[in-house]
Formats: sequence, structure tokens, C-alpha cells
Amino acid sequence: MKFTARVSALAALGVTAAVAVVGCSAGGSTPASSGGSGHGGTLTLGIIAEPTSWDPSQAHVGHGLQPFQVTYDSLLLREPDGTLTPMLATSWQYNDDNTALTLDLRDDVTFSDGAAFDAEAVKANLENFKSGNGRQASQLAALESVDVVDDDTVTLNLSQPDPALEFYLSQAAGLMGSPASIGTESIISTPVGSGPYVMDTASSVPGSQLVFTAREGYWNPDLQKYDKIVLKSFQETTARLNAILSGQVDATILDAPTAAQAKSANLAQIEDYRVDWQGLVLMDRDGSIVPALADKRVRQAINYALDRDTLLESILLGYGKSTDQVFGPDSGAYVDDLDGTYDYDPAKAKKLLADAGYPDGFDLPLPAIPGFETPLAALTQQLADVGIRVQSEPVSTSTFLADLAAGKFPAVYFNYFQGEPWVAINQLISTNALYNPFKTTTPELQQLIDAVQTGGAESSELAKKVNEYVTDEAWFAPVYRIDQIYVYKSDVVSVEKQIQSAVPAIYNYTPAG
Amino acid sequence: MISFIIRRLISGVILLVVICALAYSLLFFNGSSIARNILGDQATPEQVALKEQQLGLDQPLPVRFFHWATGALTGDLGRSWFGTLTVSDALVTRVPVTLTLVIVSIVLVAVFATILGTAAAIKRGWVDRLVQVGAIVGDAIPGFVLAIALVTIFAVQLKLFPAVSSISPGAGIDAWVASLTLPVVAIVLNYVTASAQQIRSAVIVQRERDFVRTLRSRGLGEREILLKHVLRGAAPAGLTVLSLQFVGLLGGAVIIERIFAIPGIGQLAVDATVNGDIPIVMGVVLYTVVIVIIVNLLVDLANGWLNPKVRTS
Repeated sequence: MKFTARVSALAALGVTAAVAVVGCSAGGSTPASSGGSGHGGTLTLGIIAEPTSWDPSQAHVGHGLQPFQVTYDSLLLREPDGTLTPMLATSWQYNDDNTALTLDLRDDVTFSDGAAFDAEAVKANLENFKSGNGRQASQLAALESVDVVDDDTVTLNLSQPDPALEFYLSQAAGLMGSPASIGTESIISTPVGSGPYVMDTASSVPGSQLVFTAREGYWNPDLQKYDKIVLKSFQETTARLNAILSGQVDATILDAPTAAQAKSANLAQIEDYRVDWQGLVLMDRDGSIVPALADKRVRQAINYALDRDTLLESILLGYGKSTDQVFGPDSGAYVDDLDGTYDYDPAKAKKLLADAGYPDGFDLPLPAIPGFETPLAALTQQLADVGIRVQSEPVSTSTFLADLAAGKFPAVYFNYFQGEPWVAINQLISTNALYNPFKTTTPELQQLIDAVQTGGAESSELAKKVNEYVTDEAWFAPVYRIDQIYVYKSDVVSVEKQIQSAVPAIYNYTPAG
Repeated sequence: MISFIIRRLISGVILLVVICALAYSLLFFNGSSIARNILGDQATPEQVALKEQQLGLDQPLPVRFFHWATGALTGDLGRSWFGTLTVSDALVTRVPVTLTLVIVSIVLVAVFATILGTAAAIKRGWVDRLVQVGAIVGDAIPGFVLAIALVTIFAVQLKLFPAVSSISPGAGIDAWVASLTLPVVAIVLNYVTASAQQIRSAVIVQRERDFVRTLRSRGLGEREILLKHVLRGAAPAGLTVLSLQFVGLLGGAVIIERIFAIPGIGQLAVDATVNGDIPIVMGVVLYTVVIVIIVNLLVDLANGWLNPKVRTS
């Protein structure tokens, strides 16, 4: 009797386990196999995170944009080299003062739920993007209203010129969802776009793998190179490495420490693929927290104190390129000659500090952001060599951006996106920029920024002046641009990099052979 | 027995409310920065202010907790702040995955620990020493090191198992077995020795007790004494350590889940915590506490079954 009791207790445990197993595996279809070569076949990508919502208003850049491109078309298409070409919009034209952008639209496109793509759909999407207040809501900050001119023409009215608007229309802000679907509950878990693929919800497992199948009758077969796309999400770099080493994915993103392993396993890597830069933003240029930072010579001294090549070798294992400017080589605002402005020269740094009245150096508080401990420690050492004493204060990932916006840090070492000139200016330099929380500026700089804003087609060229100004004034102490370690199995897939995007656009993958 | 269960359930509910209220207040300790964190470094101050309003962050903490709690009572746990997915949707696919991993692991730990522990207690000698040494080694090697070693050898090099989870809908039991084998082995290797050690000690203590000597003197077989009396007496100690391990694994499986990319609740919890996605974190807290309460209740019931004295105390 007692024995029976024990047996039934054990049996109960067993049944619980069995129910859990059966309960999970019930209800779905077969899993996707990876691989595939030639035309069609399956492309399996290891991604960092899947979207937390498929509502286009919640779309993000880089990593976040790629899954959206699978199922959504955007108004403009951004080519791998950054040029903008027609997609859902066939042509676009600004008015004279760059405050109204008129788009001509395709008239042969439908969404996967059957709804037609037209000017009303564009208006509904742009308004949804604004009211959705998602992670990239700032992309349409300048948009005031949308006029439907006729079925296939729409005009975007702006409160002020925005030289990055066309770029944004190729990114999150340009993604078009079915007007019948946006704002509904279902689009959160199931995307409804006009894009090349549709989600196979029965085969998808949120948090693990998303399966998409080619949409029949897609208007642009050139962009639809596979029968099936599988996105597998892995937060851990090690998991992504294991996934590609064991053949479970065809391409994925790694990092410098895992690059060697990928190389020894004969994986191909996209070359010269740099999207982010790291370094110090010297924000307190008025000296309200650290008076020394108000002096241009002090900021220049910080730049001269950095041995960038050594930092590059020791921290990134050489996977990157050292730099003195914050605008990227792909942006059009990059100036070759600026690199080398502040070549490592500790003696000069000391002299500048002495000239500025700080012969014994000064104290510089810096937030220690989780994940940046190593470069911060190396930097601390190099700055200490010229007398600048870094006091690092640990901060939490979830609060530091808000603290930064509130002007609590005089400077910050972090990872920054190197985007289009107007994007970079509004991220780092203008008085609206998050990384300019003290809102420092000069009439001269403001004039240069205004010229970029109203410059139209010339704006990238005009941004070179902004670049030269802030580099000479040492607003920043950049260290290096980081290689994106994007690896792929070259016998299965060929991949082209997408400038200024953390991962290639979904259109940049082609079956090998 | 019924009143015992009812008392346990009531204290469970009180525990649940207290933990949820505490967790909620702690999470909102630096609440003002969440909107900025959601919108990222490109957002304008106006957008941040609008986001705070949309999320109800402009209301006082007790009001917000009240809204959350009343929603939770009706099964509405709110939506993720970083997307618009409902918390229930986020949890429903992940809870079973983690529970399967944890339950299968703990059942196997229980089986192997009982065999090893009993063998060590009865045979002593080299078996005992092996279990003792194993306990020290098992404690000393972190679970993730074992997991990485297993994945490197059996998945990446020998390709016997998938390196990362291949669990998908309708994949069938074989995909589940293939995906869970290495993680389960990693957990079992890491946990079995501690339980075996507990069971070993309990069995030794039981075997030295007077009633066992009496039974033996009456001529009962060693086998019968062990199965009917000694193990029954040793079971509470084993169950206690197993329930502790189960609760520990609910959190501890995070690392294993990340290494093998298993879409369980651990990954969700870590990401949500780092981001400050409070609705998701609260959902995870709620589910975890409920599971812990149920496990403790089951263990108490099992102990009561095995030893009537527990029920009255």
C-alpha cells in the first residue's frame, strides 16, 4: 500500500513531464531545414533579436529593420552603397524650399491580405508611424501632414526641411503595412505587408525561429531570391557561432573574439564593413561640471593622449580602424585629411594641458556603462599618463541614457552609429542631439548646421564643414570604427554589405553558384 | 488533509501578493528613465514625454500597481513596453519550454541521485568515494562550462545533436529529444551529485535507526527493508533538496537556455530585466512564484503522504 503511494507519486511526476512535452509539441507543422543553393531554396539567418511587434510603427534600424524587410516593402529602396532608388514610390520631388516632398506611387501593388497599395495607404501608414511613437518615431519628427493628391500621388508636408527624410523613407518610417491591418491586434504578431515574403505562423516559434515563404505574384521578383527565409534568433554570440559552425544557419553576425574561430572554420566574412564608432563625446564644453573641458586645448589634449592604434589592437584585436572624426567614410561628410589630426603625442597633450592652466591635470568623471569596462580601463590608463584622472562611476543600462539626457555626465565613452550627415548631426552635434545635453553651440557652428539643413542635394558636402569644425574644436575624442564581423557560408550564399546598417539588407543575399 | 491544503493555498496567495507588490515597487525604483530607454538615443524630449504618458508613468506608483493587479486578476498582464506584444502571448510559448527542460532534468536527477546515493550508502567503499568525489567535482564545475564543453564536442565537432535549439511546432518528439539532450545532460551532471549526497546521508541515518535493527532482527530481507522503510524515511530529505534544485533551476536554466538558444522563459526574463520591460518582468515573476508555490505544495503533500506526522505539525 505504501509502495503504491510512492509509485503513484512518481507516476504523477512522470505524467506532468509527459503532458508538458506533448503540450508543447502539439499544433504545428514541420520545421524548416537550412541550406539551399542555386535559385530558390531556403536562406537561414542567425539574427540577434526578432521584432517585439510587427506593427511597422515599431520598426527599428539595422538589426531591427532586417526582419521587417522580409515582409514589408518600403517607399524607397536603399541600395547597398546607400543610393536611394524607387520601390513603392517610383519618383519623388521636393518643392523649392524643401518643405514638401511629393511621391509618385506604384499602382500595381497589393498587400498580402488583398488590400490595395495607394496614396491613402501611405497616409494611413505615415500617421500610424507618428502616433505609434515607436523606437524610431523621431524619423518623422518633421512631418506635419500628408496630402493625398490622387490615388498614386502623395505629398508630405514638413514643419522644416529634413535632409534625412528620403533616407528615413527607405528605413523604418517608409515601411508600408496593409491599411486594413495597421492599428489592429493581429498585426502585432503577424506582419501584413506587400513585401516579398509572408510569415508562416504555423512553423514559427516566437523567440526561436520565424519562417517566411515567398509570396506568389510579388511585384518585384528580382528582390525575391528564395522560396523560404528562416530567421533564427540568438542573443548570445556563442550561440550564433555554434549555430553557424554546426550548419544550422547560413549567415550571422559575430564579434572580434569569435572571428578567429569563424575564420578557421572556413567561413567567409564581409570585408571593410564598419557601421559604429567608439570613443569619447566631450559633452561639457561649457565646463559646468568639469571646468577644464571648456578649454579647447584641454579637449585637444585628451585627443592627443589617446594611442588609438594600440587600443584598436588590444581591444578589438585589430578588427577596425582608428579615426579622429565622427562622420563615417560612407556619409559624404567624411574628410580624409582629418584622420591624423590628433596622432598619439602625449608630450603635446601635457603641454596643451599646461598651457590651459592644468599642469597637474584634472579629474574627469566618466560613466562606466556595462559592456564597456575594458575600453574604459585602457582609456583611463592612457589619460592618466598625461595627468587626466578618470573617475569612473558604474551606471545601469536602463538608466544611463536618461541620466545622460539630463546632463549628469560631462563626457561619455560609448558606441555610436555613424549615419547619414543629418542623422549624425542630430544625434551628436545639434542642440537637439541627445549627445549634446548641455546644448553647447556657437553662432559659427549653427550657421554651418543651418546650411546643411537647407542645403538639399548639397547637404552632405556642406556637412564636411561641420565635421572640420567639430574636429578642430575637439568636441569628441573618437577612438576607432568597429568592423562588423558578419560571416557566411560562401558555398551556400553570397552576401553584400549594406552601408550604415548593422546587418545587410535582406535583398543583399543571393544563393551561391 | 483538506484543511492542510487550504492553509497552504492561502499562505501561497498571500506570498504571491507580497512578492508582486515588492517586485513592482523595486522595478519602478528608477522609473523616470524607462521612456527614454525604450525610444533610444534619437528620440526628441516631446516623444519621451508622450511615451511616459502612454505607459502611464505619470501616475503614482500605487495607482499603477492597482491597475496592474486588477488586470492580472482578470488574466490581462498588459503589453511589452518594447513592442506591443501582450505579456500572456510572450509567456505562453516560453513557459512550457522551460518547464519541460526543468521537469525532465529534475526527474532524471531524482532517479540517478536515488540510485547513486543509495548505492553509496549501502555499498560504501569505492562507490561511496566516487559519489563523494563526484559531489565536489560537480559543485566545482559551473554548469555553463559543462554546457559549452558538451556543445563543442557533441554538436559542433561530432554533429550528433543540434548546437542550438531546433524546437519548432509539430517538430515531433525526436526534435525535442535532440534539442533537449545536451542541455538536460549539462544540468543533470551539474545537479545530480548534490542530491545523491543528501540521499546518501539520509539513507545512512535511516539504516542506523532502531526500527531498522528491529525489522532486521525479525528476519525481514535487506531489500524489503530498503525499499519499504529506509527509502521512505530518507525521501523527505531527497524531496527537499530536489524542490530547492527545481526552484533554483527556474532561474538557473537561464544560462543553459542562452548557450543552447532554447526559447524559454529565462532569455525573456533577462532581456526584459536589462531593458526595463516591466510588464514582461512582472509576468515572469508572477508565473515563477505560482510555479514555486505549486511545487512546494506538491512536495509538502508528498512528504505528508510519506510521513503522516508532517500533516499535523
